[in-house]
Amino acid sequence: MSGAVTNRVLLAVALALAAVYLFPLYWMYVTSLKTQSSIFAVPPEFLPGAPQWDNYATIWEVANIPRYIGNSLVIASGVTLITALIGSGCAYVLARYRNGWIDAALFAVLMLQVLPPSLMVTPIFVGFASVGLLEYPRFATILAFSAKTMPFFVILCRAAFMTVPRELEEAALVDGNSRVGAFFMIVLPLARNGLLISALLVFMNGFGEYVYSASIIADNRLQPASIGMTNFLQPNVVNWNAIMAFAATYVTPILAAFVLLQRQIVNGLTAGALK
Amino acid sequence: MTYQIELDRVEKHYGRFHALKEISLAIPKGQFVALVGPSGCGKSTLLRSIAGLERITSGTLRIAGEPVNDLPPRKRDLAMVFQSYALYPHMSVRDNLTYALRLKGVSRAERARRAEEVAAVIGLETLLDRRPRELSGGQRQRVAMGRAIIRQPRAFLFDEPLSNLDAALRVRMRKEVRALHDRIGATSVYVTHDQIEAMTMADHVVVLQAGRIEQQGTPMALYDRPANRFVAGFIGSPAMNFMPGVIAGDGRAVRLALPGNPVLETAIAGTPGLEVEVGIRPEHMVLGPLDAPHAVPLVVSAVETTGAASYLFTEGEPELIVTTEGTAAIRADDTIGVSIDPARVHLFEPETGASLRSAKL
Ligand SMILES: Nc1ncnc2c1ncn2[C@@H]1O[C@H](COP(=O)(O)OP(=O)(O)OP(=O)(O)O)[C@@H](O)[C@H]1O
Ligand SMILES: [Mg+2]
Repeated sequence: MSGAVTNRVLLAVALALAAVYLFPLYWMYVTSLKTQSSIFAVPPEFLPGAPQWDNYATIWEVANIPRYIGNSLVIASGVTLITALIGSGCAYVLARYRNGWIDAALFAVLMLQVLPPSLMVTPIFVGFASVGLLEYPRFATILAFSAKTMPFFVILCRAAFMTVPRELEEAALVDGNSRVGAFFMIVLPLARNGLLISALLVFMNGFGEYVYSASIIADNRLQPASIGMTNFLQPNVVNWNAIMAFAATYVTPILAAFVLLQRQIVNGLTAGALK
Repeated sequence: MTYQIELDRVEKHYGRFHALKEISLAIPKGQFVALVGPSGCGKSTLLRSIAGLERITSGTLRIAGEPVNDLPPRKRDLAMVFQSYALYPHMSVRDNLTYALRLKGVSRAERARRAEEVAAVIGLETLLDRRPRELSGGQRQRVAMGRAIIRQPRAFLFDEPLSNLDAALRVRMRKEVRALHDRIGATSVYVTHDQIEAMTMADHVVVLQAGRIEQQGTPMALYDRPANRFVAGFIGSPAMNFMPGVIAGDGRAVRLALPGNPVLETAIAGTPGLEVEVGIRPEHMVLGPLDAPHAVPLVVSAVETTGAASYLFTEGEPELIVTTEGTAAIRADDTIGVSIDPARVHLFEPETGASLRSAKL
C-alpha cells in the first residue's frame, strides 16, 4: 500500500517537473496565436480567444523563413552526412578491437565531448580563416560542427555495433565474405536501428546549431534559422507573437520527428546498455 | 601422403600469452578428429586458427597440401559450426543456408534446389521461411549444421556445437552428426570439453592441456595406454583412481598404499624402490569376496547409483571409486573386498606424470 502511495507521489512530482519544462513550449505556441494586444493582457490569457493563424502566414514572407530553414537543412544534412560517414567507421573499430590504444582513443573521444563550442569557435575561426575555408561559410560551419557531433555519434554508434555478436561476422568470413562485405551485409543491417537513431539525433543537433553559424557565417543569405531568429528578434522586440510564430515554425518539425520516433529513439539509446 | 589438414609445429601467441605450443597434427581425408581438453586449454584457439579467424604466430598450416598461413578465411573453403550457432538473425532459414552459395555466385535456381536438398537431410523442410529467433534450440543447431554441409567444403570445423542442447538431444545429435559425417564423406575437426563426446564420435582424439597436445590417438589407445597422468585422469568416466605406490620385488611388481599394502605383479618394469603414482580405473576394480586372494578390504563412504551401474566411494585418503554393474546391495560403512586386475594398472612418475610404460617404449 505504501508502495502505491510512493508511486503516486513520484508520479505527481514527475508531472509537475514535466509541466515546468513544457510550459515555455506551451507558452510559445499560445503566444504565436495571440493578437498584439492580448499578449500583454492582465491577467494573461492561457488560451487565445481568437487564434491568429495569420501570424504564421505573415512571418513566413517577412522573416524569410524558407531561406533560413533551407540553410538549416543544408547544414544539418551536411553535418549528418560527414558525421555518419566518418563516425560509423570509427565507431566500428572502437567496438571491435580491445587494447590500450583503443582505450586511449575512447577516452580522447569522451574528452572532446566535454569541450564547449564557445571555447572552440575562436581557434576554429582563426584556423579556417588562414586556410581560406571562410570563403565557403556553410561548409566551414558543417566541418566545425561535425567535429562537435562526432564524439557523441561515435559513442552511440559504438554501443549499436557492440550489440552485434562478433561470431556473426566470423561466420560470414568463414562463409566466404571479405571483412568489408561482412560489415555491409551482416553488421550494418543488424546495427541499422542504432545508427539511424544516432544519425537522426545528429541531424536535429545540426538543425538547431547556433554558436558556429553565428561566428562563421556573416552573409545573411547563408545563415540558418537559429541565427535568423535572433536577426528577426532585434528589430521586432515587441512583436512577441511574430517571434513566437517563427520559433514554432522552426521547432515543430523537430518536435514532430521526436514524438513520432520516440519509441525507436529510446530503444536505440538503451540497446547497448541492456544487452 | 597429403593430408586434408596438416599442422606443423604451430604456435600462437596473444601478446605475452602463449596459447598454442608446438601443435603438430595431421588429419587424413574423411577422418573425424576430436579436440578435447579442459576449459581454456586452447581448443577454440586451435580451431579458429585452422579456420583463419586467428593468425598463427609460427609454424605451417596446410589444407589439402597447400600452405594457407596467409589466406583469409574465405579462401580456405572450410565450414564452421559455432557454439552459439551464429545464425544471421535478419535472414530466413533459407537465406542462412544459402548465404555462402550466394557469395560464391551460385544461381538463384541452383541455390533453391540445394536449400531444399539440405533441408531434407537435416529435417527442416517446413521451416525454411522462418527467422532464426522463431526456432527452438535444436532446430537452430540443425540450421547451423545445414549451413555448413550445403557448401560441400574441404573440411568441417565444429566448436562445441552440442553444448547448448539438453542431455537427451545431445546424445541423439552425437549419432546424427557422426552419421552425417560418414554419409557425405567429410573431414571433421570437432572441439568439445566432453570426453564422452570425443570418445564416442571420433576416429582420432587429440587431448590438449595449456596449449599443448598431451596425447593423440584412437579413443581406445587413449583409454588403454594414456601417455601421462593428465590424459589418464581426463579420459574415462568416472575418472581414474590415483594412489601412491612403490616398485617392489624385481621391478615387475608394485606395492600399493592401500589397506594391507597389496603387491601386484604388473607387466611394467621399473626400478625397485621407486615411488610411483598408480592409476586404476573404477571399472577395473572388481568387487569380490573379502577372503579372496589379493582382495583389498575397503570401507564404503557413499554409494551413487544410476540404475545400470553403481559407484562406490571409499573412505580414507585418497578416496577411490569402484564401479559395479546394476544396483549393489551395499550401503555406506559396509566393508567390501576389491580385487585389482594387474594388467589394467597404470604407473606414472610422480614428478613428470609420464607413464612408465611409455618411458620404457
Ligand atoms: N583474443 C585473445 N586474447 C588473449 N587471450 C586469449 C584470446 N582468446 C583466447 N585467449 C586465451 O587463450 C586461452 C585459450 O582460449 P580458448 O578459447 O582457445 O579456450 P578453450 O579451450 O576453447 O576453452 P573453453 O572450453 O572454455 O571454450 C585462454 O586462456 C584464453 O584466455
Ligand atoms: Mg572454446
